[in-house]
Amino acid sequence: MKEMIVQGLEQAYQNLVHMLAEFLPRFVVMLVIILAGLLVAYALKYVLRGLLHLTKLDRLSEEAGASRMLRMAALPSMTEVLSRSIFWVTLLGFILIGISVLGVAGLQEQISRLLQLLPEIVVAILILFLGLIIANFFSRAALLAAVNAGYASPKMLSWSIRFVIWILAISMALEELGVARQTVIAAFSIVFGALMLGLAIAFGLGGQNLARGFLERYLSDKKSEKTEEPQPL
Amino acid sequence: MGADLYLAEDTLLGDDFLRQLMSVGEVDLLVAIPSYNNASTIKQTVQAVEESYQQNFIRERVVILNVDGGSTDHTTDVVSTMDGRRNVGYRGLTSLRTVHRVTTQYAKSPSPGMALRTVLATADLLRARSCAIVSPTTTNLDASWIANLLRPAYRQNFEFVAPLYARSRYQGLLARNLLYPMSRALFGRRIREMYSEEWGFSGRLATQCLSQNVWNDEAIRVRPEAWMALTAICSDFKCCQSFLGPRLPPAAAGGIDIVEAIRQTVSSLFRYLEIYQDHWLDRTGSQEVPTFGPDHELSADGKPSNQEKIFGMFRNGVAELDPILASILTPDTHAQIKEIATLDPSSFRFGFELWVKTLYEFATSYHHAVINRDHVVQALVPLYRGRMYSFFLEHADSSPEEIEADSEILCLEFERQKPYLVERWKAKS
Repeated sequence: MKEMIVQGLEQAYQNLVHMLAEFLPRFVVMLVIILAGLLVAYALKYVLRGLLHLTKLDRLSEEAGASRMLRMAALPSMTEVLSRSIFWVTLLGFILIGISVLGVAGLQEQISRLLQLLPEIVVAILILFLGLIIANFFSRAALLAAVNAGYASPKMLSWSIRFVIWILAISMALEELGVARQTVIAAFSIVFGALMLGLAIAFGLGGQNLARGFLERYLSDKKSEKTEEPQPL
Repeated sequence: MGADLYLAEDTLLGDDFLRQLMSVGEVDLLVAIPSYNNASTIKQTVQAVEESYQQNFIRERVVILNVDGGSTDHTTDVVSTMDGRRNVGYRGLTSLRTVHRVTTQYAKSPSPGMALRTVLATADLLRARSCAIVSPTTTNLDASWIANLLRPAYRQNFEFVAPLYARSRYQGLLARNLLYPMSRALFGRRIREMYSEEWGFSGRLATQCLSQNVWNDEAIRVRPEAWMALTAICSDFKCCQSFLGPRLPPAAAGGIDIVEAIRQTVSSLFRYLEIYQDHWLDRTGSQEVPTFGPDHELSADGKPSNQEKIFGMFRNGVAELDPILASILTPDTHAQIKEIATLDPSSFRFGFELWVKTLYEFATSYHHAVINRDHVVQALVPLYRGRMYSFFLEHADSSPEEIEADSEILCLEFERQKPYLVERWKAKS
């Protein structure tokens, strides 16, 4: 009995040593690959940043209005966004290659699936980016309109609108990735009503003069309320 | 007249309208009345114009042009069907010529820029020597106003005629604290009323403006009157001011509130800074322009009843818009504004130096588009309310002369700090 236990332990120990002997070199290779990837990613980032500065991309981006959109989303300049993106994409690629070297059963398949998902991931990131810009724009528009109209709790209104648009963007991005489709559809259905309310408020505040003009056109006998402040012009 | 102009007229003026104009022929004077659902007041405006023609321009070939933005209350029918020659003119004289009345609908929805473009194309086609634009919402407009707008361009070769009004002391504070001093400091001419609903101009200026390819610019679509004044200034055309009379508060539906007024006028002023930057960047000082009649007239009246509310909106705005203001203003200016927002309402002051610096930083932030441009302008509203409240306190017991003297100091402060604007304007964002 005692011998069987000792033999079992010895076998386990030998298996462990064997596994470690097989795993450790692969792990070291993985670390080396990731480290090399880090260096390559940094190198690519600085090279691309330099090239983009030389091509005056930021100026072009400014003229095209793209920089304004980035600023609205509280993001850095176009050059910085692209150079940081190349850094993370390169590093992610090396990490995936490094992990595949480990030869963990099933992981190889997951990595190839992940690579197949790459187009959807890019679209999802784009959706999130646009969602960020739209959320930022509408929440700021609502904040300004609410403050200038003297409404109570303008920040809460602004954050509500931002939150609702974020939720929508995240739902759409998850839907694009095919993650938890049923949950996303249910969540979207719930959030949609709230989103419409948020947009209605944003439009109602931001476009109140437009709305007033519209109503006056059809209800010409109903005059708008006179402002209490002295006539500015 | 260039080929472009023919093209503009061909596409801008419809066949029916051109037929009406051909029956009118060339004219000396043209008065345009842009309208939109003004059936209740436009008759009075047309009568004032006809009366002015009959009293003051007996021998001249004249026309009244109504350009309508898609009224649904039959405004154009009122103009077309009303009786003419109702009043005998001054000393029993009446016009020796037919007073033509022409109406056209330039669009299905109102657009001041499109209305002006139609007027300019008409003035150019009819070779009018002197033109005026008047508003049917101005209920106290009379014959003398028309004559005062038309005469300088017709008889004294002025190209642009800005109106002057008698105002109550708390009326037109946006013009007094921002629009006039800033445009004076930057463009170098002391024209008080660039954003008004009445003004006059020569046929030459009409042709000059018509030939410019600017009509899709949002600022010109919304507030074209200041653009016309600035075109005259920047083309070194002769400008003058002509006193009209008291400016009454518009009817409820016609008036715009502070937020909309700032969005329209300040946005367009900032936009014009970009359009005409070659003209103002190297210019210093300002010149008087000839003025017919008193150059200002202020009447004392009661204080606004809601001063504390206005101060509260300033203070609240500074607190709530903190991150937005931080992206527009320099840290120093932002800190100073936050500091005055903590003052006791009774001792509050938004001084000239800080106010001018704030405006110049807003102008450069608009220019560099640090955030959405409309948002930049909207963020100015609470600060303007602060300046307005400060004005109430500073001039609680001031005479009209003291208010004018103080306004002159503000104008000079704008001129003094202009190099700061130029430096920031030229700097990279």
